[in-house]
Amino acid sequence: MGRELTPAVPSVHERDQALADAVGRKDRKASAEFVQEHADSVYAYVLARLRPNAVDVEDVTQEVFLAAWRCIGDYRGSSSLKAWLFGIARHKVEDYYRAKVRSSDLEEADAIAGAGLQLDSALDERRLRERSLAVLDRLPEQYRLLLKWRYWEQRETAGIAVALGRTPKAVERMLARARERFRREWEGAS
Amino acid sequence: MSERMGIEELISSAAASAEASARRAPSRLKSRIYSRLVREQAANGPLLSLSDTKTSGGALCIFEELVSVAPVGDAVKAKNCCRICHARVVAERIERAPIYWPHCPYVRFQNR
Repeated sequence: MGRELTPAVPSVHERDQALADAVGRKDRKASAEFVQEHADSVYAYVLARLRPNAVDVEDVTQEVFLAAWRCIGDYRGSSSLKAWLFGIARHKVEDYYRAKVRSSDLEEADAIAGAGLQLDSALDERRLRERSLAVLDRLPEQYRLLLKWRYWEQRETAGIAVALGRTPKAVERMLARARERFRREWEGAS
Repeated sequence: MSERMGIEELISSAAASAEASARRAPSRLKSRIYSRLVREQAANGPLLSLSDTKTSGGALCIFEELVSVAPVGDAVKAKNCCRICHARVVAERIERAPIYWPHCPYVRFQNR
């Protein structure tokens, strides 16, 4: 559509600020621009974390945009609009992890010291990553989400424990069970 | 790549693969997000009128143009015309919807 939001060639954040201001004024064309410009990246971010649950991916993506609209006045242009939206997306994904893992009856297991996996030396790095992703996709949801929460979002066990209302020790045991399930799935797929 | 690898390392490495395989958002989803966004905006008071939208650089579709020049009050011009437009209904339900109106947001959302 190529709509000019500011007359001069603006810096990225000035343009983002102008777009956010226009969305805040309830300019419907600016709101369409906002969705068109950022839906792909927010969707990709959420999809990577919630896959393979496609329905929830769409719901959470929509929630990100609605939450952004409700606090669009807080955007000050100190970061890009995309980075600001990703901040909201991170919170929404974390809410999702918390709700799903908390409501599940996740078994605990004693930690398995130094567990490693025997890898097929014919697999290159890319294929290893793809296979890891495929194994994650096959895990029961609560295991998959807990592992992503810990290892993709780099959340410390203590932080997850607070979010779930459990002790760090209990979360360690849940993680041990999830890793063990991952290992079994990996070996079963070999 | 070592032949033995920690589970944590493998799980972490899958993140890169997930990001790389990400797809574009379905056009149906973009359409639904936009509809919901505008509905929320309209629920908290009038939208920016079509005349003001045009003045600030927004290109209107033919339907919006007609409403903007019609002898009606600002309250009507601030309403969300898309609510009663077939393009919205089709775009929210069909991927690559067969709609081609110039300056219609739902047309722009189509991943063609």
